Amino acid sequence: MQTFTIKPYAMPDSAPALREKVRALVAEHEHRFEPARRANCWVTPDPEFSCALGQAGLLGMGWSKEYGGHEMSALERYVVLEELLAAAAPVGAHWIADRQTAPLLLRYGTEEQRRRWVPGIAAGEVYACIGLSEPGAGSDLASVRSNARRDGDRWVLNGQKVWTTGAHISHIMIGLFRSEAGSERQAGLSQFLIPLDTPGVTVKPIIDLTGSHDFNEVWFDDVRLPADALVGTEGEGWKQATAELSLERSGPERYLTSQILLTEFVRRLEGGADAGQLRLVGRLVSELSALRQMSMAVAARLAGGEDPALEAVMVKDLGNSFEQAIPQAIAQAIELDLSADDALELLVAYSMQVAPSFSLRGGTREIVRGIVARGLGLR
Amino acid sequence: MTDMDTERQTMLADMAAGVFAGIGWQAEFDRDWPRMAELGFSGLLLSEDEGGFGGSWSDLLVVARLAGEHALALPVLESAVASRLVAGLEFEGVGTLAPSSDGELSGDTWSGTLSAVPWGRHAGFVIAGEEGGAVAIDTSDAQITERTGLSGEPRDTLALQNARAVRVDGGPLALGAAIRAMQIAGALGKALAISANYVSERQQFGRPLAKFQAVQQSLAQMAMESAAADCAAFELARSLDRDDASFETAAAKTRAGMAASTGAALAHQVHGAIGFTREYALHHLTRRMLAWRSEFGGEAYWSERLGRTIVAAGADRLWSDLVARTDP
Repeated sequence: MQTFTIKPYAMPDSAPALREKVRALVAEHEHRFEPARRANCWVTPDPEFSCALGQAGLLGMGWSKEYGGHEMSALERYVVLEELLAAAAPVGAHWIADRQTAPLLLRYGTEEQRRRWVPGIAAGEVYACIGLSEPGAGSDLASVRSNARRDGDRWVLNGQKVWTTGAHISHIMIGLFRSEAGSERQAGLSQFLIPLDTPGVTVKPIIDLTGSHDFNEVWFDDVRLPADALVGTEGEGWKQATAELSLERSGPERYLTSQILLTEFVRRLEGGADAGQLRLVGRLVSELSALRQMSMAVAARLAGGEDPALEAVMVKDLGNSFEQAIPQAIAQAIELDLSADDALELLVAYSMQVAPSFSLRGGTREIVRGIVARGLGLR
Repeated sequence: MTDMDTERQTMLADMAAGVFAGIGWQAEFDRDWPRMAELGFSGLLLSEDEGGFGGSWSDLLVVARLAGEHALALPVLESAVASRLVAGLEFEGVGTLAPSSDGELSGDTWSGTLSAVPWGRHAGFVIAGEEGGAVAIDTSDAQITERTGLSGEPRDTLALQNARAVRVDGGPLALGAAIRAMQIAGALGKALAISANYVSERQQFGRPLAKFQAVQQSLAQMAMESAAADCAAFELARSLDRDDASFETAAAKTRAGMAASTGAALAHQVHGAIGFTREYALHHLTRRMLAWRSEFGGEAYWSERLGRTIVAAGADRLWSDLVARTDP
């Protein structure tokens, strides 16, 4: 039984040059990055850096030039993403827009929606959030209660979303709403593109246990939108929202969140390391290397038009477990004063606190393993 | 990889699967080895000019996974690697690899002891020693102490006095580790398949075990460990075909060892007591996985070696060295 299909692929010839380009850009901006939060870099926003990436042509890499993209391959995009994460650059402002929102609009959106929003995303100037979770719904995403009803040629939205990452810095939300009154579960749901400055939208912060503001609650109180706020087909929202999950789940952000921690751990050991510490480095890099192979194999198959959904969720869960284990493993291998201001201590202290979120965001471990089990034919 | 490679591997896989399935752990060397020799597995890595199959390491991975999957109790892989290392040299009989040795080369003879040699009692020659100083030793006159590894396979001690020896390129420890990592991937995949099948059929509390979330989560975890071992083995084979695979060998043996440990434990857990019996087939796979995990350097050895290289290169090269392994 080989559940994880691996097809041979080659990294693009342009990879070394792309890496140099990203490293140079990071070096230019690095002095501004907040040291501790680099351990959770893909949810840490820095609009100035996002704009710089857009100007350098490093966003919207796979899209048509017509919409501000650069028509590069999926693996070229992969190289840029992994370089940014390994360098622990704050890419949170544009991450979701670049990863999901623009591809969604390019696939399902109207010409008007594409022209209005996608070039700005490629420029690193327009940010987006995803409105899925609702109060009381938790992992049961299909129990959406927020609703959209037709009023003449307009849509009127009411309800509430929660755990919305980045809503406070986003320009638009792609939200999942019940558009057919009385429908249940996955049926009767539609996706809407909601400019967050529309009257009736209220965004309130949820402060996490570290004191950081990444999540939000978003209220919709008679939010009136034009007819073309609908994305794709009415009633097909569930299918559209889950179609791109392999992209969301298999990317390098699922195992590289704590790469800087590993780097700083190695830096600490440069002055001398015992066998146990060397073994930990070797073990973590062995795991990292296997995860990278898995993630790239999925990227290569996605690029070939396949949807390796089972492989994608495996990358997510294995990657989450790996990155969660790193701060604990380092704390067991070396004496640390977690009140100190050194890079390693700051990163360990911060990532230990945020690590529990890794296997919550993008689908909890229990949900994700259930999907793997389904792929194995067990449910 | 070309279509011809794919075609060759499909042919290899069909042949190996057919033969290995009929022999498996019940193999008897005297009875079954002639068939392996006839099919030419020992010449898998030899060029066609050398009388071999002209195969790559990626081809060997196909065979190694299947050998692991069928718990094949024959030194097919050891002999393929040993035969490649002595290509063009005069050695006869079955070749195998010594994970550790204590002895000395003096001119063209070697004296000392080879330990834990897979199928040493049947070997005509053994590759021993360190990378850069490996030797092929004629073991036809060795004094043999027969020993058995935890999988029940021969792991013999060979004492030699002035045995004919020739220096060879390629370290038996690294190449032995490489084939063990590949075998673990195969065995774990099979253990997963057996487990998935078992929990789907076995009823408890009025429904199949597969319907319990706790059981599903265990199987999912096993599948992920299996996937990680497979991907590590795949990249290792690819690197062996390119040139230097020292990083990938250490990484794959370490990762596969972790997968063997977690995977074997989960396979037994979901099987309950039946999996713990001599009669049920699972242990042929799990005991081998656990044996292979330790052979030719376990996680402690390879992770320390890898860690030392990484720390010596320094933090600023950790990432760039890693990606350079796969960049063009």
